[in-house]
Amino acid sequence: MNDFEFLRFVTIGQYLPTGSIIHRLDPRARLLAGFLLLAAVTAAPRWTGLVIALVVVLVALVIARIPVGYALKGLLPPLPFIVFLAALQILFGPRDAAGTSLWTWGPVFVSAVGLLNGALLVLRFAALILALSWLSFCISTTEIVRALDALLAPLTKIGLPTHAFVLMVQVTLRFLPLLALEAERIAKSQASRGAEWGTGRGGLLRRARQALPLLVPLFLTGLQRAENLALAMQARGYQGGKGRTTTVELRFQWADVAALGLSVALATLIVLV
Amino acid sequence: MSALIEFDDVTYAYPLPGGGRIAALREISLRIEEGEYVAIVGANGSGKSTLARHLNALLVPDEGRVTVAGLDTRDQAQHAAIYRTVGMVFQRPEDQIVASLVEEDVAFGAENMGLPPAEIRARVDEALEMVGLSEMRMRPPHQLSAGQQQRVALAGVLAMRPRCIVFDEATAMLDPAGRRAVREMMAELHRAGLTIIAITHFMEEALDAQRVVVLERGRVALDGPPGTVFADADTLRNLGLDLPPAARLARTLRQHFPALPAGMLTVPALVEALDALSHHDVKLPTAPTEPSPVASAPLIEVRDLGHTYMLGTPLAQRALEGVTLDVREGAAHSLLGATGSGKSTLMQHLNGLLRPQEGTVRVGEYALHDPQTDVRAVRRMVGLVFQLPETQIFEQYVGDEIAYGPRLQGLLGDSLRQRVRWAMELVGMGFNAFKDRFTFALSGGEKRKVALASILALRPSVLLLDEPTAGLDPASHRELLTHLQKLKETGMTLVLSSHQMEDVAALTGHVTVLDSGRSVLDGRVTDVFAQGEPLRALGLSTPVVTQVVEGLRARGWTLPPGLISSVALVEALSRCLNS
Repeated sequence: MNDFEFLRFVTIGQYLPTGSIIHRLDPRARLLAGFLLLAAVTAAPRWTGLVIALVVVLVALVIARIPVGYALKGLLPPLPFIVFLAALQILFGPRDAAGTSLWTWGPVFVSAVGLLNGALLVLRFAALILALSWLSFCISTTEIVRALDALLAPLTKIGLPTHAFVLMVQVTLRFLPLLALEAERIAKSQASRGAEWGTGRGGLLRRARQALPLLVPLFLTGLQRAENLALAMQARGYQGGKGRTTTVELRFQWADVAALGLSVALATLIVLV
Repeated sequence: MSALIEFDDVTYAYPLPGGGRIAALREISLRIEEGEYVAIVGANGSGKSTLARHLNALLVPDEGRVTVAGLDTRDQAQHAAIYRTVGMVFQRPEDQIVASLVEEDVAFGAENMGLPPAEIRARVDEALEMVGLSEMRMRPPHQLSAGQQQRVALAGVLAMRPRCIVFDEATAMLDPAGRRAVREMMAELHRAGLTIIAITHFMEEALDAQRVVVLERGRVALDGPPGTVFADADTLRNLGLDLPPAARLARTLRQHFPALPAGMLTVPALVEALDALSHHDVKLPTAPTEPSPVASAPLIEVRDLGHTYMLGTPLAQRALEGVTLDVREGAAHSLLGATGSGKSTLMQHLNGLLRPQEGTVRVGEYALHDPQTDVRAVRRMVGLVFQLPETQIFEQYVGDEIAYGPRLQGLLGDSLRQRVRWAMELVGMGFNAFKDRFTFALSGGEKRKVALASILALRPSVLLLDEPTAGLDPASHRELLTHLQKLKETGMTLVLSSHQMEDVAALTGHVTVLDSGRSVLDGRVTDVFAQGEPLRALGLSTPVVTQVVEGLRARGWTLPPGLISSVALVEALSRCLNS
């Protein structure tokens, strides 16, 4: 229907302030819990762990009062990519020792192990995308920045420029949606000049060439924005983290400790079963 | 006693990529006293922004000296103190906001000063209170309107408690209500004792100041109170500037009614002076009715159009609701409305960038609500010029940029050259003089014309223009209006959205006003602008001629309400005034 809303079903990076129990946790607890879950899904060796992970994420979505249907739609944009990877895995993946095949046709060889690996890959990606979406639904960019700032603070003692790193993350997070909007605007504008977006035509090479009128202005406006922001920050006296203070003080509550304990337990379960 | 800011023989040149330098400021000497309200105006390339950046050490002079509260800006060690003394609000609201929460952004500068947290919180509260955004403190800035974002940026500056605030074209991207709010803030801060320096393309905003500095090619050309600077229209024109709209009207009226005093710069002054002349009541016919158009079907017909962005997600946002619009062939039609009222969304429906979710859109023979319709054919017929179209230029040479569209249509060789030449001449750019120029080296006004020509090269029969004059300096603004006027005379149908009521009055015959995605007022431009009060309630304003008529009517004059051109006003006045 609308070919220009690039972000419509990209659920990663959308914050949904539903005010649930999860949203009320300390941002550090949410960030760490999210990272634990993502690490566990990445490391889980068997399908039982992945199924548990999927269930955990779905339950977490419900507790966070996120419409599950909307979260599942986030799987749609990367679906072709995942299916492609799974197909590669099935067709060209490692064969089992016995070399039993379910189906062969020339060099193409489908084995039970290959099928299982393909299924695991789909499952793992689905769990990863859902977990990442869950994290971004539940934690705003501001909170990510606060949590990172607090979590990384000890590293300044050994001389690492953590503040500069955190500010970089902050500015990136703030500018990504702006750049996406800008891209949409430029794509629409070039389409009005006869470029073929939103009409579903053109081969791969043509599409690559079509990207040039989009990329050049996007790059230039991005640079311009960066320069403007740098000036605005300088004008407000920003000179790095040195001598800066902050207004935010975070405090860990019992609920945060409990949530963290639960995520450690679940992550261990996902990796070990 | 030394001045707050002092420029002593300042020269500055920008380094060029290939070596060499381009002069921006030449031997400028200027004193700005504590508590002054100064406007700095000048054409593009006059050095306004460069000057602004010297006011708080974002740039330091090549030669000469700038001191801020006695501190030399060339001394790096003093920069922190200088930033604290002179704050700055920039042109693009969304580019100067650092944090993703309003209150954190306001705290940014104060945090950089290393103040204790309790003190920062107190200052943030106070600053948000002053700009009237206390309720918005926990919102992400991108959810705010451009005008509100600009107030967030101002609050961030206020939290640093500066003695002087520089507004670098801070109102250029705002709608009338946003602009009014920022101007009121500037006046209020000045009353509170701050030094205010406003850099602007809007001459009526320069009238708010006590002193106007006019720059030309890096030099101070004029410096004095608004009454003196705006006394000589011809000098201003030579400097690439213009009189404020009310002063321009006053000048025209004085040519017809020499009894009027000189030096009237504002609408109230003009109303006062006219009312003081001896006049009588006459029964005037209400605005001359145009011959009603022959009963042909309109070229563009929008019925009950509804649109929701991000439909089917929790972030869904209603943008249009039951919108109705008729545009006749060869007409010039304006869309008015505050930022976010749905003007751009409506325009994008008229050339098939968006397809109707609800309701119908018909353009010529194409029914856009029918999924079978060939949108490419619609886009060829209806050209859309986006806001700030020069930011979408991607070719190195002017000629290639304009040829992009026709080339995609399959034009080659000589016919392509002819088409590009034709489009360039429509916007007043010589083919031979400009086709091989680098696009990046053009001035702002020239880039805008290239972007316009690149759409005209597609030979559309309808032209949609989103804020065509936004951000242009007075000379480029005037020139672009002339070209649009000529396009109109060729029979092209124009649909434009604008925050510039003078442009709307000068160019268009019909107006549709949008408010929160609904079409709330619709009709001839004279009838719509006659409704000053409802328009202001919608965050809009009216042209100065209409404001003068409204002022006189409030004093009991029997002028018809729907006058928008100075010619019509002169005619009506000549009947009322006793000569």
